[in-house]
Amino acid sequence: MRYRFNPRVTLGLLVLVGLAFFVIPSTSADASGSGAKVLVGTFDLNAGSCSGTNPTGTYFRMIYPGGTIAAGKFFENPDSTCTTDQSYTLASPGSQGGLTNGKYQADPTPVFASTGSALASSIIEPQAFTQINFSIATNPTDPQTGLAVPAPLIKDKNGKLSGQVEAWSADWNNLHFNQGSPKPGGAKPGLTQAVSGTYNAKTHAFVLIWASAVVGGPFNGFTGYWHLQGTFKPKK
Amino acid sequence: MSVAGVLRRSPSGSTVERADPRSTEPPYRTWALVTLAVLGVALIVMPAAFGMFARAPKGAVMIGEFRPFMTSSRLDGFQQDMSEVNAGVQQSQLSVGAYLTGSSTPDLGGGAAFRTEFPSFASFAGQWGAIDADMTGLLDRVQANLGNYEAVAALPSFRLFPWFFVVPGVLVLVLVATLFVSSRRRRTIRWVLVALGVGLVLAPAVFQMFGRAPKGGQMMSAFKTIETTSNVETIQGYFGTMAVGQGAIRLELVPALERKGLSPSEIAARFPAVATLDARWVHILNDMTPMIGAMSDNVANYQAIAALPPFPLFPYFFVLPGLLIAGVAIAARPGRRREDQVSPEPSEQPSPVGSQH
Repeated sequence: MRYRFNPRVTLGLLVLVGLAFFVIPSTSADASGSGAKVLVGTFDLNAGSCSGTNPTGTYFRMIYPGGTIAAGKFFENPDSTCTTDQSYTLASPGSQGGLTNGKYQADPTPVFASTGSALASSIIEPQAFTQINFSIATNPTDPQTGLAVPAPLIKDKNGKLSGQVEAWSADWNNLHFNQGSPKPGGAKPGLTQAVSGTYNAKTHAFVLIWASAVVGGPFNGFTGYWHLQGTFKPKK
Repeated sequence: MSVAGVLRRSPSGSTVERADPRSTEPPYRTWALVTLAVLGVALIVMPAAFGMFARAPKGAVMIGEFRPFMTSSRLDGFQQDMSEVNAGVQQSQLSVGAYLTGSSTPDLGGGAAFRTEFPSFASFAGQWGAIDADMTGLLDRVQANLGNYEAVAALPSFRLFPWFFVVPGVLVLVLVATLFVSSRRRRTIRWVLVALGVGLVLAPAVFQMFGRAPKGGQMMSAFKTIETTSNVETIQGYFGTMAVGQGAIRLELVPALERKGLSPSEIAARFPAVATLDARWVHILNDMTPMIGAMSDNVANYQAIAALPPFPLFPYFFVLPGLLIAGVAIAARPGRRREDQVSPEPSEQPSPVGSQH
């Protein structure tokens, strides 16, 4: 029996192959061919610390509208354990150690306690922020904007990190604040800065930083500055 | 049969008639039909000219997002929140300051030693008077406009407003067009036009717009200085200052009292306002933060509505076109046919213009 070339079937197969190429994450190199490698595993976080000259580990700061990332003015969190500078809210790693690359780490149900304190604890442990705990989650649908967002994806190219954390969402006081970069939909409003950082392929030590403007809600116009530091744990 | 063949201008040029040989109805005045058509077009165009299709839905959003906060109980709650913060700050400044410094006379500001030992609280206490006055004044203004808000919220949805003009406008045009092309039921159509005009005149009364729209105008005036980006940022700043101040009371003053040997129950008994603020702070945050969010989120919506014509004029945007439509439709009533305008009876002599059988 002679095989008949069916253009429709061929086109369908090509589309499927193309989709698979984009949808199935590569474990070694990104699809753009830029040479940047997707790190498959978890960015295990070091707890934030203010013991040295400059804070280290994982922390976040909030900049008032009209301020700058370098000079503030910064929101002071009275519950910060960084007694030398309470504009640093220190974080400690959650039950999954930190940020899992390429996967969502969604909010639990319920998201909040009756006090408005966030209950998510996979990425970081909930941290007190003006007496109400905040936490972080990454959901397929951003809870503030209602937009579909991709799972965080960080890439390494010669020790420099880049990527996106569009789904990064802070929960606090029964409210959600998207703190991703870029913002859902790809915009970078205000002081929003792209994800950047460093990665040591030998020690797996990493630093990830970005800034994200708050769009809407009671902190509209503020900017969150995120500093994640720790050791990358490749998936076995 | 062409339209040109259907319509015939009267010798005087003041009437339009369809040369329907069966028509027994008199022709209509050209100026009346043209005026009605212009009014119909004006009604259709007006919402677009005022940007109502973009702005009115934003008004609906603002009214909807303010709804959870614009109740007597909620506004009273905000006032109580502010009173509790104020009482806690005052008691911390005076009684707690005196107790911690061993002073026998409470000193406003807690005394120099107190201010030195608790700089975060002292800084907050120094700003509190202005914050309290501003926030309480803002809440007073909002509360004073509760009735105005309720009046606006009781109006039909802002989303519908553009259509309240467009739909009558389209109806007028359709009816006028019908008058042009058909000789049937001319009197009925004319009365429908009159009814449409009367409907527009009555609509504001039915929706109580004469009472509600001016109240909406008052609310918009009152919110003019509230719904601004700079005011929202000021309140955000107050929030940060209050958070620091409450943190200083909770994490510095109360522990200092405990170090002095007071148990939590003794602190609550001796400094009830401080204990109340401590206990209620989370509730205050739960309560006030979403309000700040709603204020912030609706700055653009407020400005969109503020760019519309003033609210008190809105009833007249219905009444005036309504009066004109009804009046013109009535005035369009054909007079008695003059001999030169009377079409011949169809059975006797077909019209020379419309007789293309």
